[in-house]
Amino acid sequence: MITAWIFVAIALFALALLTFFATRNRTHPAGIDGAISMIRSIDMEAFRNLVDPAEEEFLRCALSAKEFRVVKRKRAWAALAYVRCAGRAAVLFASAGQAAQRNSDPQIADSGMQIAHRALRLRLHTLQASLRLLGQVVLPGNGNRPLVSLIDEYEKTAQTLLRLGRLRNEQHV
Amino acid sequence: MTGHILLWISPHVLLALVAILMYQRRLYRDFPFFWLYTLYETCEFVLLYALISIRTVTGQQYTYAFLVTLVISISLRFGVIREVSDHLFRERPFLKEAARGSLQWTWALLVLAGIACAVFAPGEDGGRLIGGLAVINRGIGIVQCGLLVFLMCFARLLGLAWRGFAFGIALGVGVLSGIDIATYAIRAQLVDEGWMRTLNLFTTGSYLICSLIWLGYILAPESKTSVVTNVAGNEVDDWNRELQRWLSS
Repeated sequence: MITAWIFVAIALFALALLTFFATRNRTHPAGIDGAISMIRSIDMEAFRNLVDPAEEEFLRCALSAKEFRVVKRKRAWAALAYVRCAGRAAVLFASAGQAAQRNSDPQIADSGMQIAHRALRLRLHTLQASLRLLGQVVLPGNGNRPLVSLIDEYEKTAQTLLRLGRLRNEQHV
Repeated sequence: MTGHILLWISPHVLLALVAILMYQRRLYRDFPFFWLYTLYETCEFVLLYALISIRTVTGQQYTYAFLVTLVISISLRFGVIREVSDHLFRERPFLKEAARGSLQWTWALLVLAGIACAVFAPGEDGGRLIGGLAVINRGIGIVQCGLLVFLMCFARLLGLAWRGFAFGIALGVGVLSGIDIATYAIRAQLVDEGWMRTLNLFTTGSYLICSLIWLGYILAPESKTSVVTNVAGNEVDDWNRELQRWLSS
């Protein structure tokens, strides 16, 4: 009978998750204001520094193995906070892009589609980067690949968003 | 007994209503499998109700008819899951490619989990037809519910807009599969008649809830996310300024 109750618990957990998604699905996205404040909160220079392989190599040479692991772990946590923020911004970009796709102006609709695509790609990168950074937190001594692609993706997304902004501006003038 | 019959009839009446509304709104073009599912479930109910009403039909004959209709119903539900996942990735072909791998892995893991559960937790009555069926259905419930929970997690993590009727269909099928896991798990362990009757009542009750979910989502107006379309000129300036500052940093 214990087996049956285990399955009942699994089912209840799944139903709780479904209820969570159903209630969260009703809330509206934060919109452009949210995207702007997200952009404001990300200090790209600091983030670049945190994931810079040259900087890491310098620390590896300058510090003892134990000290390096401590510092590396702290840097990984800090980078993770930035990546989370970038991920949230990507979700906002995606919803902004998806909404712009419905615009009557074909140029804006096209730009919106590009934003949505880029933002979703960026979101995938942030998820991948989060996993890698968590790996660095657990095993700080191990070598790791740089997160340059994430920065590139973020910049491409922002540039596309900027293009959409210009188009919107022309429409308002 | 009358209450039980009413509970058995009402979700199928609602499903017939959903099928009619889908036809009126041409939604059968977007969700052909779900439309077929609603029609099939209604016809299945009529058939089973007729069989149970005919005195010459034996219990064994009814059980076989029930099993055949159940297998078709489960297969259609897989089709519905495929349909809602296609709907989610319809306008995002690159994401479909990225999701395909994850979906295949999830599918494989869930099937393995279902088989492992059937092998290592066969139930008290696994050797008999109904007991064995309960174990198989429990495994299928794990696969179906797991796939839908995965899809919802995926959509949420990527901020994908999965609103309206497609989400309602996924939610209803997810709830139905989730309840299947629990009820079939208890069925596989218990052979007590009293418990079986209570479980039947619970299953039909939950089916009523799912029918209400589908009906609710089809009647609810589509929400509009006019995030960008209502932006004022000065807000766009602000937006551009921030991006310029950020890109030049």
